[in-house]
Amino acid sequence: MSDPSAPLDATAPAAAGAVTWAGVPTVPYSDERLPNGLRLVLSEDHLAPVVAVNVWYAVGSKHEQRGKTGFAHLFEHIMFQGSRHVAKTEHQGLVQGAGGTNNGTTWLDRTNYFETLPSHQLELALWLEADRMATLLDALSQENLDLQREVVKNERRLRYDNQPYGLAWEKLQAAVFPEGHGYHHSPIGSMADLDAASLEDVRGFFRTYYAPNNAVLSIVGDFEPNEARAWAARYFGPIPPNPSIPPLGDMSLPPILGTEYREVVPDDVPLPRMHLGLRAPVWGDPAFDALEVAAQILAGGKASRLYHRLVREERIAQDVSASAIPLVSGASLFALVATASPGTDIEQVEAACWQEMERIAYEPVTADELARAQALLETAELAALQHVEERADRLGMYATLFDDPGRINEQLARYLAVDAVAVQAACAASLLPDNRAFVIYVPKS
Amino acid sequence: MTVDLSVLDVRPSPGRPRPYHFPHFERRTLANGAQLVTADLPGRPLVAVRLILEGGATYEPPDRGGVSILAAHALTEGTERYTAIELVEAAERLGAELSAEAGWDSFSLALTVPAHRLEPAMALFVEVLSRPTFPAREVDRLRDERLADLLQARADPRRLAELSFGAAVFEPGSPFARPAGGLEETVRRLDRAAVEERYVDVHDPRLATVIVAGQLEGIDLAALLERLFADWHPAAGEAPVVRWPTVADPIERTFVRIVDRPGSVQSEVRIGHVGVPRRIADFYATIVMSAALGGLFRSRLQLKLREEKGYTYGASASFDFRRSPGPFSARSAVRTDATAPAVADAMAELRRIREEPVRPEELDAARDYLVGVFPLRFETPAAIASALAGLVVQRLPDDELERYRPSVAAVTADEVLAAAEAHIHPDRAAILVVGDAARVEADLRAAGLGEVEVVREAAPAA
Repeated sequence: MSDPSAPLDATAPAAAGAVTWAGVPTVPYSDERLPNGLRLVLSEDHLAPVVAVNVWYAVGSKHEQRGKTGFAHLFEHIMFQGSRHVAKTEHQGLVQGAGGTNNGTTWLDRTNYFETLPSHQLELALWLEADRMATLLDALSQENLDLQREVVKNERRLRYDNQPYGLAWEKLQAAVFPEGHGYHHSPIGSMADLDAASLEDVRGFFRTYYAPNNAVLSIVGDFEPNEARAWAARYFGPIPPNPSIPPLGDMSLPPILGTEYREVVPDDVPLPRMHLGLRAPVWGDPAFDALEVAAQILAGGKASRLYHRLVREERIAQDVSASAIPLVSGASLFALVATASPGTDIEQVEAACWQEMERIAYEPVTADELARAQALLETAELAALQHVEERADRLGMYATLFDDPGRINEQLARYLAVDAVAVQAACAASLLPDNRAFVIYVPKS
Repeated sequence: MTVDLSVLDVRPSPGRPRPYHFPHFERRTLANGAQLVTADLPGRPLVAVRLILEGGATYEPPDRGGVSILAAHALTEGTERYTAIELVEAAERLGAELSAEAGWDSFSLALTVPAHRLEPAMALFVEVLSRPTFPAREVDRLRDERLADLLQARADPRRLAELSFGAAVFEPGSPFARPAGGLEETVRRLDRAAVEERYVDVHDPRLATVIVAGQLEGIDLAALLERLFADWHPAAGEAPVVRWPTVADPIERTFVRIVDRPGSVQSEVRIGHVGVPRRIADFYATIVMSAALGGLFRSRLQLKLREEKGYTYGASASFDFRRSPGPFSARSAVRTDATAPAVADAMAELRRIREEPVRPEELDAARDYLVGVFPLRFETPAAIASALAGLVVQRLPDDELERYRPSVAAVTADEVLAAAEAHIHPDRAAILVVGDAARVEADLRAAGLGEVEVVREAAPAA
């Protein structure tokens, strides 16, 4: 092993702090609205003959009422069961037959639907999305609802109930966000609430939230903008808006939990695992950007503080990860997960993690740590923005959550604006003992 | 207010496709015998580098199962000049990701870096390639992490199914009977010496190919690599010849193996047998067949098990194409009380694909999807470099990727049927079920699928 204090020669380039930024290419875009309120964001890129379409609806699991959890996501499945001119499962059939891929996702803040296709198939994707936004209820039946309820319950079994540590995130969410708050429950919902969902619920949900004035349509890739505008106006234009979308209730929260929460879950797991959740500022607050950088410095790579100490040096953990999970209503979630090595007590892992979290809150990170974290975040931005699908997703996301698709070109600058003072301040404000929720899995035996 | 939605009554027809070609690439041979393949992709500033070496897990000694992957992971743990942390920090300052991995067929190093930092990142890359030290302390840690990971995998039904599937399908002693990362009995014995020995075997420039894809304008890669490879010479004597092993198919009659996981609310099901290698004459008919059976959203398996019966979140089938025949498998996770009927339905689909020609719309769906999605798969330098690596590893001709779309488009229903008859064997298959034996065994026996055996593994203690 070499002496870590020795200066690196030319083989190991760019000594500490000597990073030159690559610069992420600017994503050009236009931003307009149809008369019915549908927001249309276009971004041309003719590098490859592909095009991505993404529709973001401003409705997620946070909009669900008590007793109706899992509804936004169940509804997402119904959106693939056909509409007036599209038969059950034909949506995927047409997209795949056109040489495209497609899917939908539901999250706490929103739901989205997307297609990526060879560019000459753009009109098909717009027609498909418009047909279900306009006429979904024509194809809705009790049979379709019952069947998709079963599919979703199987998704729940697959991802949660039949997985080791499978309920940890659900428990963490429930601990960090109080009863009655929109983030208290997971998007997958409970089996009992899924069972109770009725056709009338589905109809009401559609009429309330699936309106053009509650959606953003983004198109990215190889297309001609005026042609795309004309198609968007043709297919989406006649869909009536919903003038009375209920506003989201007050979701504000105190910045920290106030008391520590601790839950120990004995389960069929071979190794103990600690899930630590902390309430954090909303996404959009510069302190949230600073926490993303902090997560990178704490556990973002092999040289990160926690990985280095727990996994490489002390060997008390099998793995460790940290993430700032972006949410926009009331508060976000900062999470740290670590699995104990065989023979190690989870208390020892917890103590070491907390020591490092206190340290990052009490002493500034080094210039080199900061520069490395930012360089990795820059490469990650560059990597993500290579894909037309990801660009369409982000334009829809920024338009929906921040009313500004242009933030796609500002995210990197936000990371680079974070300095050591900001990291320390953000950590000092959120990484507090009485802001901690622990969900700790331990082997049953 | 009346709403006129009649514009939606007519489904639009596609426009004129823009021509697409797989990106142009160039090959040359470097002074030490290594091959260099470059694809210059203007407008793609994140460059992807792959260095492909012989030395996949297929070729490791059976009593050292897992050594290739352990050697790959240990490769970045330090060089003669730098500790692992110094290497990682130097890479991070460049915004670069540097890693090594082994698969069944090859051993590879990968680098991703913004183009303007390619040169210093390549220097690091070659440092790792040429002067690894495999510190014993780090090799031991990585070995222990693999052992702990196996513990974790045995608690996860999906991973337990993957761990158990090879042994159900391949002959004992076949490399494919175990996972590429190895199992406890061999991994436990691996150490620095085994890792170093493995790396010496694979580290021969005459069997190496460097692939670089991305925006390369103004970068003289050949000159850069000649300089960086100045000390990398082949060993004395002829270049070793790597033989691709044959793989026996030991299953004579279909059987059911239940791996008991008490309390499971779903059963992980794998149905399969020895498949085919990548280089077969009817490769394109086989992938079209496999897409129609279990590769599309509206595949026969998915429509039956998910959309008609609601047994599962998803069902699929595919061949794992390797140099030597890898497995064919149909896969699903089904709710526990539907296990036997779901397996029976899946088996019926495996028989039907051999008996009933695909309907014209099924054939179109599979062909059009594979042809149309091809350009979407190659948006990034990393994906293009990986496709080129596939050519190198499988020793396919340079025009294989350009021939892909016309070859798929030309596949007929008769060829699909012939491929199914030749390559799908429901009467000589392993049916592996990871689930709650107390709740599924009787039904599986009653279903008359074949002999039923139950494996009850005491979960190994942590």
